[in-house]
Amino acid sequence: MIKGQIFSGGYGELLIRKKSEAQLQLGELLVAEQGDSKILLQVYDLLYGSPLAEQMRALIAGMQLEEQHALEFFDAELRNYTLAKAKNILDLSSTAVHKSLPELFTMVREVTPEDVTFLSQPKKPLRLGMLRSGSSEIPVPVAVQGDEALAHHVLIIGTTGRGKSVLVKNIIWDALSEEYCSFLVLDPHDEYFGRTTLGLRQHARGVLYFTPHAVPQGQRTLIINLGSLTPHHFSFMDFSPPQRQLLFAYYKYFGKQWIKEVFVRDMKESFQDEFHEMSLAVVRRKLKLLLDVDTDGQQLFCGGVFSTHAGEHTIHDISKALEEGKSVIVDTSGFSGQVELLIGSMISTELFDRYKQYKKQGILQQKPVVSIVLEEAPRVLGADVLERGSNIYATLAREGRKFKIGLMAITQMPSLIPRSILANMNTKIILGIEMSAERQAIIDSSPQDLSQDHRTIASLDKGEAIITSTFTKFAIPIKIPLFDERIKQNSRQAGQLAFREVRI
Amino acid sequence: MKFAHLADVHIGSWRDAKLSDLSTQAFELAMERCMRIPVDFILISGDLFNTPLPSIDRLSRVVQKLKQIQEKGIRTYAIPGSHDYSPSGKTLIDVLEHAGLLINVVKGTVAEGTLNLTFTVDAETGVKITGLLGKRAALEKTYYEHLNLEALEHEPGFKIFMFHSAIAELMEHGLQFSTTLPLSVFPKGFDYYAGGHVHIIRNREYAPYGRIVYPGPVFPANFSELEELGGGGFFLYLDGDVTYERILLHPVHSIMIDAQHKSPEWVAAALREHLQGKEFFKTIVTIRVTGCLGSGSPGDIPFQSIIKEFYEKGAYFVMRNTLQLSSAEFKEVAVAREGTEDVEERIIAEHADQLHIKTIDPERIEALVHAFMRRLSIEKGEGENQTTFEQRVKKDTIHILEQERLI
Repeated sequence: MIKGQIFSGGYGELLIRKKSEAQLQLGELLVAEQGDSKILLQVYDLLYGSPLAEQMRALIAGMQLEEQHALEFFDAELRNYTLAKAKNILDLSSTAVHKSLPELFTMVREVTPEDVTFLSQPKKPLRLGMLRSGSSEIPVPVAVQGDEALAHHVLIIGTTGRGKSVLVKNIIWDALSEEYCSFLVLDPHDEYFGRTTLGLRQHARGVLYFTPHAVPQGQRTLIINLGSLTPHHFSFMDFSPPQRQLLFAYYKYFGKQWIKEVFVRDMKESFQDEFHEMSLAVVRRKLKLLLDVDTDGQQLFCGGVFSTHAGEHTIHDISKALEEGKSVIVDTSGFSGQVELLIGSMISTELFDRYKQYKKQGILQQKPVVSIVLEEAPRVLGADVLERGSNIYATLAREGRKFKIGLMAITQMPSLIPRSILANMNTKIILGIEMSAERQAIIDSSPQDLSQDHRTIASLDKGEAIITSTFTKFAIPIKIPLFDERIKQNSRQAGQLAFREVRI
Repeated sequence: MKFAHLADVHIGSWRDAKLSDLSTQAFELAMERCMRIPVDFILISGDLFNTPLPSIDRLSRVVQKLKQIQEKGIRTYAIPGSHDYSPSGKTLIDVLEHAGLLINVVKGTVAEGTLNLTFTVDAETGVKITGLLGKRAALEKTYYEHLNLEALEHEPGFKIFMFHSAIAELMEHGLQFSTTLPLSVFPKGFDYYAGGHVHIIRNREYAPYGRIVYPGPVFPANFSELEELGGGGFFLYLDGDVTYERILLHPVHSIMIDAQHKSPEWVAAALREHLQGKEFFKTIVTIRVTGCLGSGSPGDIPFQSIIKEFYEKGAYFVMRNTLQLSSAEFKEVAVAREGTEDVEERIIAEHADQLHIKTIDPERIEALVHAFMRRLSIEKGEGENQTTFEQRVKKDTIHILEQERLI
């Protein structure tokens, strides 16, 4: 359907006059056809047009309002019209950036699925949603080369209620069927597994779920042995240099028993006067609070997620599962921020160390790319957090892609994340953002030029997003499917079991 | 109330004649102790036998002991373990139950896809016992996932849950994910969880579950276990106190030599040092030499003569493990400190992804390989001729393929 005609403008800011009966929306995709070539355009602004001067139009409006004149225009559709500003984004014939102007008075039409067949699935697809033109869904799934995109980090930005979690659930749901990747979801709201609602647990391939609370049948208790901790895991904590040295001294001396020994061992027995009593007292107090442990002077009692006698392989099992292509959800709801960070660090560090080892051995290519999903990412990647000391996530943001480990960071405040880290996030999925400063932060760090898209981003409705990525030809508008609807259609069917060996 | 808890007897384990009878002897010794106390009942948490078809001699001795136990009024409750089952799902535990020598407590009903286990009540003590079997590659997981936990948890009284599985959260050594069960599949609030399958000795309370106990084997089933455990045993529950009862048929003396960058002569001298001033009367001696020799080859170490010297000093059996020993001239062979089964499982797990069968879920491939390995490891039974043996192999193979819906 013809939508309008180009009549003015310049490169990147074409002016289109809308055909009177057609509808045009912000973000709408249009195709300008001239001969064999087809140019994909996108509307980024809408305004009124008329051959009458503005004062005259104001006067006409006044006459209608104040004097109830029943004025009618001759050839109203010729005199009053809508103008659209559009940018040329792609030459559809070559799927290369379009670098010239379409001919003046070229007709533009709505985009059809046939125009965008190049968006069809790559070899290792990471499906992100359905193509969107304005607010209309085009029945073309949008996917990027998954292994590349995940390893080069994904940033998902949007204010509360815009569908960030739904988007991530959709992405993981689709990717669970793929063998090239696995996901580690650190879930502070316990919303991905779907204990009481629909969630990833319904997927036929299933996910592994670790939770410390009311563990659902068949899932794992999140319990971590204190022996799994090393002083490196506490890098994010505010320890003074002597306190940190003390941690390392105990670790070196007592190995896996070091935490227990910090609490029960008289320091002088092992370290004479190397450390001040006060340093030990502070370390004890901080660890006690963080790990929820207590002591009677001889034994250590654990109250939280940490244990002295169980969970020796929890961290190992999670890493192993991820490298075997299974996705893992870790329920960190109910933990303090520091405990959540500690657990996430333990898993991520173990995984990173393993993958580094695989790279040395030359077998990294056999392993799936692992994407670590971080909700409220500024808690671990915020500039203020990183000023206090680096952490594993910052390391992964910088180096992870070389080792097939990527972050999927979710935030509503991208401005809190340092630019150096934002620049490393090579795929950004932008949902509606009201705050101008946040929009600017993301526009400034986008792989594609979004300088004209302030308004389009602000106008994104619930479930609408824009993907800007080094792995896409242009900033692609998408519609995020409703998760619950998809689950109902695709969830696994329980088979009939014979329970053959049980005497019935 | 008094009861004994055994598991992993593995009657018929070990190929060597001198060791192969020890598991049977250990079982007999355990039963005699149970009679001497006497206990009210005995729990056997799987793997009474090492193979589904043990030799008739050994079977006869087991039957004899169970009969004596029964005559003393002691009840025996058991669950089948992964080693007790033939590929077609048959087990001698059922035969022993039909003979009235023990009770297989794996009983229940199925309603709407849910497995409702029923309790076997010990008539004299009123103790309620139930449990689930163990299968190769933790295939029992599906049963657990469909277990009606609520009904089991609400049952009043002193309750025992018997199982033959590795619990992921409690394992000290990393196991393949697919071969462990999460704690969450077990019913909470039992007084005693009588475990088997994993050869570790563990007795601990785990809130909100209860006391979870693994007695380990009655006699070690492989080289590593001889080194680590030194012997076998079982647990006794005596009016609330749970104690480990050790069975020591022969003392075990383990020697570990790190031969990294050393010469064969150095290794020989280090081994001979262990002989100095010691007697090894009736002792099982294990020798493990690891590392990459700095010169020479493993063949240059005079193991034969050193082993002979141990025998001259009264050793009952001397065994060596040089799987992790290599020489600089040869490519290093990476073999972990594992038993044969562990090695098999690891190798299968490592290579399972090379098998692509369209109609089968990749996760089931390992189980399928295990099923075939198990089937093919069963030798011709006593009384079987070539034809009946072949027929049985074919039948079991078809059964495995049918189970996986491959035919």
